[in-house]
Amino acid sequence: MTMQHSEPFSFTIVITGAPYSSQAPQTAIGFARAALASGHRIDRIFLYGDGVHLASALSSPPSDEPHWPREWSQLLEAHDIPGIACIASALRRGLVDEAEKKRYELSAHNVRAPFVIAGLGEWVEAGLRSSRVIYFHGGSGA
Amino acid sequence: MSTLVVIDSAPYGDWTGREALDMAFSLAAFDQPVTLLFLGAGVNWLRKGQAPEGISQKSVEKNLSAAPIFGVEGLLADGRDCEAYGLAEADLIAGVTRVDVGSDLLHQYTHTVFAG
Amino acid sequence: MASIHTLHILNKSPDHPRFQRCLTALGPEDALMLIENGVLATTTAGRLATVSGQIYALSPDLEARGLQVDDSTFVPVDYEGMVRLTTEAGQVISW
Repeated sequence: MTMQHSEPFSFTIVITGAPYSSQAPQTAIGFARAALASGHRIDRIFLYGDGVHLASALSSPPSDEPHWPREWSQLLEAHDIPGIACIASALRRGLVDEAEKKRYELSAHNVRAPFVIAGLGEWVEAGLRSSRVIYFHGGSGA
Repeated sequence: MSTLVVIDSAPYGDWTGREALDMAFSLAAFDQPVTLLFLGAGVNWLRKGQAPEGISQKSVEKNLSAAPIFGVEGLLADGRDCEAYGLAEADLIAGVTRVDVGSDLLHQYTHTVFAG
Repeated sequence: MASIHTLHILNKSPDHPRFQRCLTALGPEDALMLIENGVLATTTAGRLATVSGQIYALSPDLEARGLQVDDSTFVPVDYEGMVRLTTEAGQVISW
């Protein structure tokens, strides 16, 4: 770990761009790794809007392409960082965990560990607790 | 801490604005000060007389009219964008303040966020 | 190094409507960080003529797109540099 000249910061990273439709998950992981390497803490990753697709356990890119959901899962597990997909964004887009599968009597669940589904309250808390909340958006929509 | 949630996409054609509105309502629900800013094509959210039944969507005009009740502190719109989309004072839903959007405005808020 | 009031992170190409919005919102004490398609603006420097603050560009995004920058106008930074900028700025806005 490199020495820090100043106080370590705590970051929440919000990803709103989907993998394979935007560069957002890739830029965000570069940022997250650099923040950790610089001695900062990452409080949580929050997936919002199209960003929730990053939590899919069913993404199956060709083997010669980067697997962003897997890379993110591995980073979260290695550093014990909570990964949260916004429940409203996720359910609309067909991202479902075991509890929601039961609640809505769906045929399957597909959220990749260690991601969990939770409400926007997690995001509100991020703004209060983390020293910085950094957003990574898609590149085309407006 | 006060947050400015920015909507710069037109209503009905995509979901980004609705997800921005959810963010604003969540902040308000947790008693966090929040203001909405409509920019660019986003000012079309503020037009009176929306009737989206024919496209099977919920009226964003109705959603927005609940904003003050939920505790959203203000509805701001870029004055020049309103003009560009033919929105005179009389065409706007109640409670909208037209503003010049620049660093002076953004510097008044601790956080400025887009939903996507 | 002068302190940054607001760091504006811009990932949109210069043709995206939010690109110009971001430039309009830049104050004299703010800095601009170009990432992803935003780094294409380094080839259209005229469009950034109104920016009085420092302009940074993410080097992996520049390299990916085959771009080299004139260091007197744009400061290339890596991810660590970007992290550092977000801690030096009073606040950060992603466009």
